Amino acid sequence: MNFRFDIIQEYLPFFLQGMGLTILMSVIGVLMGCILGFFIALGKMSPILIVRLPFIWYINFLRGTPLLVQLFLFHFAVLPSLLGETTPVLSVIVTLSLNSSAYVAEIFRAGLQSIDKGQAEAAHSLGMNKVQVMWHVLLPQAFKRSIPPLGNEFIVLLKDSSLGAMIAAQDVLYWGRAASNEYLKVWEPYLMVALIYLVLTLSLTYLLNYIEKRLDVK
Amino acid sequence: MISVKHLRKTFGETEVLKDISMDIHSQEVVVVIGPSGSGKSTFLRCLNLIESVTDGSIVIDGQEITASGVNVNTLRTEVGMVFQQFNLFPHKTVLENITLPIVTVRKWKKHQAEEKAMDLLQKVGLLEKASAYPDSLSGGQKQRVAIARALGMEPKVMLFDEPTSALDPEMVGEVLGVMKQLAEEGMTMVVVTHEMGFAREVGDRVVFMDDGYVVEEKPPKELFEKPEHERTKAFLSKVL
Repeated sequence: MNFRFDIIQEYLPFFLQGMGLTILMSVIGVLMGCILGFFIALGKMSPILIVRLPFIWYINFLRGTPLLVQLFLFHFAVLPSLLGETTPVLSVIVTLSLNSSAYVAEIFRAGLQSIDKGQAEAAHSLGMNKVQVMWHVLLPQAFKRSIPPLGNEFIVLLKDSSLGAMIAAQDVLYWGRAASNEYLKVWEPYLMVALIYLVLTLSLTYLLNYIEKRLDVK
Repeated sequence: MISVKHLRKTFGETEVLKDISMDIHSQEVVVVIGPSGSGKSTFLRCLNLIESVTDGSIVIDGQEITASGVNVNTLRTEVGMVFQQFNLFPHKTVLENITLPIVTVRKWKKHQAEEKAMDLLQKVGLLEKASAYPDSLSGGQKQRVAIARALGMEPKVMLFDEPTSALDPEMVGEVLGVMKQLAEEGMTMVVVTHEMGFAREVGDRVVFMDDGYVVEEKPPKELFEKPEHERTKAFLSKVL
């Protein structure tokens, strides 16, 4: 087999550019997902069913439908009707944020509910109000416990961002497809795309391991 | 100081407290004993409303805490509580465990709270553990920190819910020692315990509870030596 390194060489600047976009979309997706996910977790833990219900179905919908379908829905239907127009990158960011928020919400909820009931009781018995108990006692402990599953979610999200290529967001996979179409070759571009994602996820894995160690997560 | 009238508490179908009336005077040490499931812990937890009350009234220091519209958080600063499982905050140092409520609830400045916390640590004999994390402490040390933390709020009453039940036997003494010292300083205390020695030595009054009722209450000497009720006798014969 004649492996055409020159294709990779030619496309390298585009791959690097795509990598930048992949990182950008993933980072924003993760951050927004965490912020949204936190409030959705709180909403889903409400003792009042009417309050809880929309959050339950938000999570049901986002976890129960394919990400690609969500991406098409947001890119072609939801965002255009809300904003008048959208760009592929914006659609990917919005979809990733909402999708990951559902998973992150479940991670936070599990983290919060895994904290021993005695912690909240002790804090309340000292006169702390609900917000103080949540902020000073429950959240720091729950967040620490959430780090390993959150890391897992980040890696999934980073890889899922490649679906953006389906709506022409110019991420790593987009340029792989472009190279493949131009030269009618499959091995070179797709192996390169796989390698880039592997480098990204491995870097993230080691970064997360480092953070876990620093925070002494057990 | 505390006046409980016709207190009832149910969990679903189960009635845990059936009709409890009790007065606890200032500076008095009341020890509550009884078989497990008798409702003694639930009774204690009702006194600072960690457990909601089904019926009846509790008045603490002239204020009816079971009335509607009572600020539960303010009430709880007046009533300190020590738990069987310590419930220290594992992500905070010993010092921070004590200063956290003083700073967040009492709104003291951090350095004032720290001074106060160091005084309390000295009192419970753990000054050198100020910057340690709870994980590195023994059970007895944890419980002494928990007592210091509760005292940091300067409560008028201290509730102890089986404070030595989760401890290795050799650590029971150090915790009881701190409690005894508190009693001598005139703290009003309600103690649920299985430590009959402590009840006898430190208690002003011993309350025997069984099946959601107060069966008998007397000064310790009388209760231990001349129990009136059959159930009290049966219980004491098993534990003494």
